[in-house]
Parts: sequence; structure tokens; C-alpha cells
Amino acid sequence: MIFFHSTRNELIKIALKPRSYLGLAAITGLVGIILFALVADGMTVISFVTASFEQTLRFEGKVLNGNLVAFIILQMLIVQIPLLVALVTGDLISGEAAMGTLRMLMTKPITRTQLLISKFLAGGIYTFLIVLWLGVMAVGIGRYLFGPGDLMVLNSDGLVILQEGDIMWRYMCAFCVAFLALFTISSLSICLSCFSDNSIGPIVATMAIILFFTIINALDVPVFDPISPLLFTTHMAAWRSFFEDPVPWQQIKQSSLVLIVHNILFIGISIFTFNRKDITV
Amino acid sequence: MIDSIISIQQLAKKFGSFQAVNDINIQVNRGDVYGFLGPNGAGKSTTMRCMLSLIKPDAGKISLFGLPLSSNRSAILRQVGSLIEKPDFYKYLSAYRNLDLFSRISGAPSSKKEIYQMLDFVGLSGREKDQVSGFSHGMRQRLGIAQTLLHNPDLIVLDEPTTGLDPQGIIDMRHLILRLKNEQNKTIIFSSHNLSEVEIICNRMVIIHQGKSIVEGNVKDLLNEEDQIIRIQTHADSLAKGLNVLSHFPQTNVRTIGSDTIEFNMQKEQIPALNIQLVAAGVPVYSIESKRKLEDYFINLIAS
Repeated sequence: MIFFHSTRNELIKIALKPRSYLGLAAITGLVGIILFALVADGMTVISFVTASFEQTLRFEGKVLNGNLVAFIILQMLIVQIPLLVALVTGDLISGEAAMGTLRMLMTKPITRTQLLISKFLAGGIYTFLIVLWLGVMAVGIGRYLFGPGDLMVLNSDGLVILQEGDIMWRYMCAFCVAFLALFTISSLSICLSCFSDNSIGPIVATMAIILFFTIINALDVPVFDPISPLLFTTHMAAWRSFFEDPVPWQQIKQSSLVLIVHNILFIGISIFTFNRKDITV
Repeated sequence: MIDSIISIQQLAKKFGSFQAVNDINIQVNRGDVYGFLGPNGAGKSTTMRCMLSLIKPDAGKISLFGLPLSSNRSAILRQVGSLIEKPDFYKYLSAYRNLDLFSRISGAPSSKKEIYQMLDFVGLSGREKDQVSGFSHGMRQRLGIAQTLLHNPDLIVLDEPTTGLDPQGIIDMRHLILRLKNEQNKTIIFSSHNLSEVEIICNRMVIIHQGKSIVEGNVKDLLNEEDQIIRIQTHADSLAKGLNVLSHFPQTNVRTIGSDTIEFNMQKEQIPALNIQLVAAGVPVYSIESKRKLEDYFINLIAS
């Protein structure tokens, strides 16, 4: 029962903390800007991309439709969303330590593991709401403004055109995998939060780790080949695989597994560390 | 029958190379108002934090309500209300919401009515919906007390609860502690670096210094008023005459300090007669100070 109350408490704290709305506001603002840009000058951008195919292909119908707009938005924003997630989740333990409320909480009969798990759960729910809001803004508003249509995706293998009736389930699955990737960020930042007594450190450290791993991925140097597939950042964009034809299920399963293992690892380290931590602040 | 509420044996804790507490031994019985006395950095807060499982001790045994803390943490903490150091709350939440959050994880969630009654009890009636960010230190301290008492604990642990309070706030806090003891028979642990505060509030006490419990016992026994250190200041020319008068009274440990002060041990009932005899002998008495042994000891401790 205490665990239920603790999770409820964590959700209330997130809901009533002004910082929590930064993520939602940022998504709204960024999507708004992208949509405005596409409404104003979208066809110019699309023509620039399709120009190279126009000698061999003829495009019929509305290329710049809601589905393509949603895909463009997701591509552009998936880099920024981890920061928005870490901004709230990185503060869940260390912010309490900095405020002194962790000391107050830990004099109550709730166990440290219960408190920690309730924070992971609340962080997960917040992350889910961020992904959901991104989905509503990208797919919902995108389709409302630009209408439905077939989705044209340019992959490394070439151009993939997906039928309108074959798209929505891909978005649903893509959002699930995107949530798993962002929950990994949430877990990492909560884990780092267990090591710190100041609010900003874990947020900065989370972003530094993401940046570091992303650079390792981007370097494309053979020496990093063995570790690159094991880094969670390699699988952050696994959601894109749902927009290939055929869908590479094996690759998605592998990415999901790596992300799940990372989550288990981060949660395990957090429980181990937090249960041994002396609360001196 | 004496009912032991807290038993701490040979408690030790190190932070890096700093030995915060070493060989602390404490026994608190039901209904005690027990004072932790010691200068800043003596180890009072570390001991209290160990008692509440905020800090894991390196060695020693801690039992509360007859149960080992290490294996019965949750069951024990359901019966404990505590306020360690300063009261910290979620500043962006209201007083009511803060109490509601803490109450829900205390093992006995309180109703809205109970929370409002508790806020009224600590003098925060009418401020229930105000954000804590707008509260003064005194108001936060009251809210801290409300948080401590809300789940009706048997044991209350207060770490320097009067720090930062104005004189009226200090008096209110003392009255509250005495009310809790007298009306509800709560066991209260109270830390302070102020001897007179401990003397007013507590029936038992321990002096902690450099991480060790130096003296433990009943406040009345430890602050025995029968045997006092008396210090008389006179004129340098009258010092010998003063020592002569003093020799006719029952006293011990007579010594001179500087050229004009005599210090000795004497029962306090003798002081008026001594004063009369000194004046009658023409010894000018500029001041008579009396100190109890422990007070002197404690002041020296802090001074050192």
C-alpha cells in the first residue's frame, strides 16, 4: 500500500512541478515551428528531396501529407526529447537530496527500494506522456493540417513508399520503441541521480553520456565496432525500422533487447547504490 | 517497570577518515524527554540519523521498541516521528499537500480533516493552501512539527528544533514538547547545544563530545545543585581577608584566580551567610557567581 501511495506522491510532485511542463511546452513549440515552416514552404523542401528521383519516377497525389509531416517531425525532434525527459527524471532523487526532502522521506517506513521503484515508475509515466504528446502533435495535428496520404521514406537502401492503410500501425509500434528508448534515458538519469546531491549534475551527466556514445557511433571507426552495437544510443533510432519494407523484425527485437537490458542494469545499479547511500544532506 | 524505547550500544560511524561517532551508548525509556547535549559537530545529528536509518553505522547495535533497527526498519519507523535538522518541504506545494504526501508514506495516511486539525494545532490555521515557499523559518518549523506528529507516533525525535526560532518561537516549542510529554506521555529525544534548554525540558540527558557519550543520566542528578562552584570577585587588597573569612565555612577546592578572584566548592545554602560575613569583615564583594559542576564542564567543553 505504501508503494502505491509513494507512486501517487511521485506523480503529484511531477504534475505540480513547473519544470515538468517545459517538455510539453517545448514539444508544442518545436512542432508548431516545424508545422508552420512546412505549411509555408513545405513543397520547396520536398521538391528539393524528390528532384533527384524525378527523372526516373513520377510522383502522383499529395507527397507532403500528414504522414510525411509526422515522420519529418519525429526525425527532427527525437534528438531533443532525451534532454526534455532528463530534465525531469534526472532531478527525481538528487533534487530531493538538494531540497532536503529526501531526508524527510527516508525517515518514513517506506523502504528505499520502494521509493526508488516508485520514482522509476513515475519517471516512466512522465516519459510515456511526453511520447504520447509528441505523437498527438506530430501525427494528429500533422494529419489534421496536411491530410492523409501514402508515406514516402528515404532510407539508406533507397526510397520506400508505404500505403496510407499500412501506416498507422507502424506509427503505433514506432512510438512504443521510441518510448522504450526514452525510458532508457529516464532510467539512466535516475540512476545518475542516485550518485548526486545536486539537482543539475545528473541532467548534465546524462546528456554528456548520450553525446559521448553518439560520437562513438558516428565515428564509424573499426576499433569501436565491437562495442557500438552494445551502446543504447545505437538503438535510440530503432523506431525508424518500422518504416522500412519489409520490417526488419529481428533487428527491432535486438534493439529492444539491448534497451531492456540497459534499463534493468540502470535500475539494478540504482537500487544497489541508493540502498547503501548515507543520507547526510 | 522500565520500558526501554531506545538502546544504542557502542555505535560507531566514520565518514572517510573522520570518526563522526565512536562508542556511543544510550538508553532511553518510555516517557522520557531525553536530551542530546553537545557542541556543534559532536555527533548528535549523526547518532540521530543512525537511529532513523538515514546513515548506516559501521559498528554497534541500535534497537528501538525492543527490536533491532537493521531488520525491523519499517515496523519501527511507523512508530517514530522525526524532524532532523531544518524542516525541508516541497516549496512549490501547499502546506496541506506537503503533509498529505508525507502522511501517505508514514504507514497511517491521515484524512483531510486530521491534517487541517494538525495544522491548527501548530498554529498554521488559515495557511493550509499557501505554498511553503512563502513561509518563514518559524512557520516551516511548525509545519515540520505537524509532519512529525501527524501519524501519532510513540517516539518523537527532534534535532535542534529551536534553532533559528525567535524567542517566542523557542518558548512555544518548549511548551509543545512538555505538553506532548505530560498530556500524551510521548517519548521525546531532543538535541541541543544549549544546556539550559535541556535542563528545562528534559528529565534525562547524555553529553556527546567528539563522537563519544561522555555523561549519561538523570538531569537532576547530573546538574546537582547541592555542590556548586562559587566564584567571588573582590578587591585585590582584600583577597587575603576574604580567604580568611572563607576558611570559617565548609568548603573545598579553594583557589585564587588572578589577583582578585576566589573560586571554591560549597553548598548553595551557605552562600548568603558567607556574603554577610564578607561584608561584615570589610571585604568588598563585586560579584558572586555560582556554577554547577556539569555546566562548568560543558562550558569548558564548548570553549575547547
